[in-house]
Amino acid sequence: MDETVAEYIRRTVLKIPRDEIKTMLQKWGFLSEAQLQTLNFHQIKDNISQEVVQLCEENSADIKQAAVLDIIYNHIYQNKRMWSVYQMKKTGEEWEYFDITDFKKKFKGRLRSALKNVTITFKEYEDNAIWIRVAWGTPYKKPNQYKPSYVVYHSQTPYVFISASVLKSNLPLLCQALIVASNYHDIREMELRSHSLNSLKDIVFKRYSQNFQTYYPKPLQGGNVEPESADIRIVRENRSEKERIHRLNREVFGSGPQPKLEFAQYKLETMFKSDPKMGVLDKKEPFRCLVKFSSPHLLESLKSLAPAGMADAPLSPLLTCIPHKARNYFKIREKKGLFPENFVSP
Amino acid sequence: ENVDPQKTAFVLRKAWTLYSVTPLYRFHRGRLRDYARLLSAFIAAEKQKGLAVEVGVELDIKVAVSSLADLRGSEQDQAAVLVQLSLRSRASSRNSEDKLVWSGWFCSVYGDDLSENMPEDFTCLPLFLTHGAESYTSVVGSWFQKTFDCCFRRLAISPLNLSWMVAMWAGCKLDRAASAVELVFSIPHLSQPLDISYAIHPEDAKALWDTVQKTPGEITQEEVDVFMDCLYAHFHRHFKIHLSAAKLVKVSTAVASAHCDGIVKILHSQYLPGVLMLLTELAISQIQ
Repeated sequence: MDETVAEYIRRTVLKIPRDEIKTMLQKWGFLSEAQLQTLNFHQIKDNISQEVVQLCEENSADIKQAAVLDIIYNHIYQNKRMWSVYQMKKTGEEWEYFDITDFKKKFKGRLRSALKNVTITFKEYEDNAIWIRVAWGTPYKKPNQYKPSYVVYHSQTPYVFISASVLKSNLPLLCQALIVASNYHDIREMELRSHSLNSLKDIVFKRYSQNFQTYYPKPLQGGNVEPESADIRIVRENRSEKERIHRLNREVFGSGPQPKLEFAQYKLETMFKSDPKMGVLDKKEPFRCLVKFSSPHLLESLKSLAPAGMADAPLSPLLTCIPHKARNYFKIREKKGLFPENFVSP
Repeated sequence: ENVDPQKTAFVLRKAWTLYSVTPLYRFHRGRLRDYARLLSAFIAAEKQKGLAVEVGVELDIKVAVSSLADLRGSEQDQAAVLVQLSLRSRASSRNSEDKLVWSGWFCSVYGDDLSENMPEDFTCLPLFLTHGAESYTSVVGSWFQKTFDCCFRRLAISPLNLSWMVAMWAGCKLDRAASAVELVFSIPHLSQPLDISYAIHPEDAKALWDTVQKTPGEITQEEVDVFMDCLYAHFHRHFKIHLSAAKLVKVSTAVASAHCDGIVKILHSQYLPGVLMLLTELAISQIQ
């Protein structure tokens, strides 16, 4: 077995938490159950990975099999990577039957005709997701297995999720191979990025609960503020205001769980407006700002701002539009004309 | 003031942790070499006890204590005192240079409020800045406390003081292309905590400050409030969020950056005295 392959397998196993190693090797299926039985999972990871490498040696593992193990690891720990979303466009409306073999052949062909040294690996999952791993080399160097790109493609949709490696220069070639293989004619990057791959899917596949324009004839009893106190002397202040805020929140965000995003970024190029009495800045040029919101769960966080008294309800559409506009990067300019209060996002 | 840039270069572009220090009792500037020796012995003893430092037994800690005449505001201020800890490996003593692992310096820049009525035996250097492992800070601090009967306290910077800093520094004139004026807010008590970074183009921030500040060379609380209110209003116009109710935790400009936990980084030598003066003032308020 090639020693670079051995080293790669060793390092991949080292990344896996000790309790997960056996399951992952089983999913991989490259080592037999009998071989797995011989492994001692109660020793330090260094030793476990050495033993795994030895077993792989017995089975003459090559880079193709090692790459599959890497996909499995990254599929389970997909949230460690940053994912960007791309949308592909077709010319016509014809729905073509998707042939996975044809897809793979065309994808490999396109990449290999441009780049001789490249490792391409596919793995299909039950939810119709095709995972593609590409390790990039140059005409003179073998592929760098430690900085691959990952692509997740759901063949029934025009969306592709890419976690590019640091080597951004290969991105155009990767995009080209994708559209050639899937019979689309164009691809563009959406302004949507997150570590949570599932949340990105929720947003573009519209799998989250959206706000529906439902008419509520009277305020809903459930999902409301704190329950009534038995003591009639305790009166809740601003009760109707609190209910109004909750209702608006529900209308805007829906009542289900929000897709998990970690940040939203706004490049503001709007005018600075102030009370003329203050005698401050009155320039004709934009007041340039960059605003970035971050949170372990951004949308839930924004949803809780108005009830906490930190924001007005309804919250600004610049924030609430994130899921249905499917973007978390914005450039905001002043809208010219009758209503200077409105903003335009190109 | 002619400050030798070489002597003060060590201050720039490092993150310094701030402390306030009460006056040092019977500190003699002529005995700096003795102090270095005593501190060195103290550190060695602490190491033997198994406390403090994380280095192996093979490494020696060398202590240097020096006086920095350039780092002060007026003649009334005491000159700064710099303490440096370096590592010298006993194994390869010939070739290897000493590696600086920790620096700490005491200073006073226009600290008259404190030193005015101080009895002779006391040396006022209310601001203490450290860079390096916390364990070393602890050992050095302990020695100074024992030897000079002084008291160290971490210097927190309130949102009020942070807003002073950002207003002042945003207004500074800089010849080179400057970095953005950034304010970082935190809203920790929500179901999911939220951090907001609000970065303004330095030219636009300065333009705003220039229209707010009425008297050059002087800054009032009212002017700082107007400046901040303008920023809050612009933000609210877009996002409907009351930024004034969030906690301002960090401000960052091309001149300097400061964090509410009492950590500053000074980037521009031109404004070094101004920044140190402000920090000295904060340290003195914490002591009094």
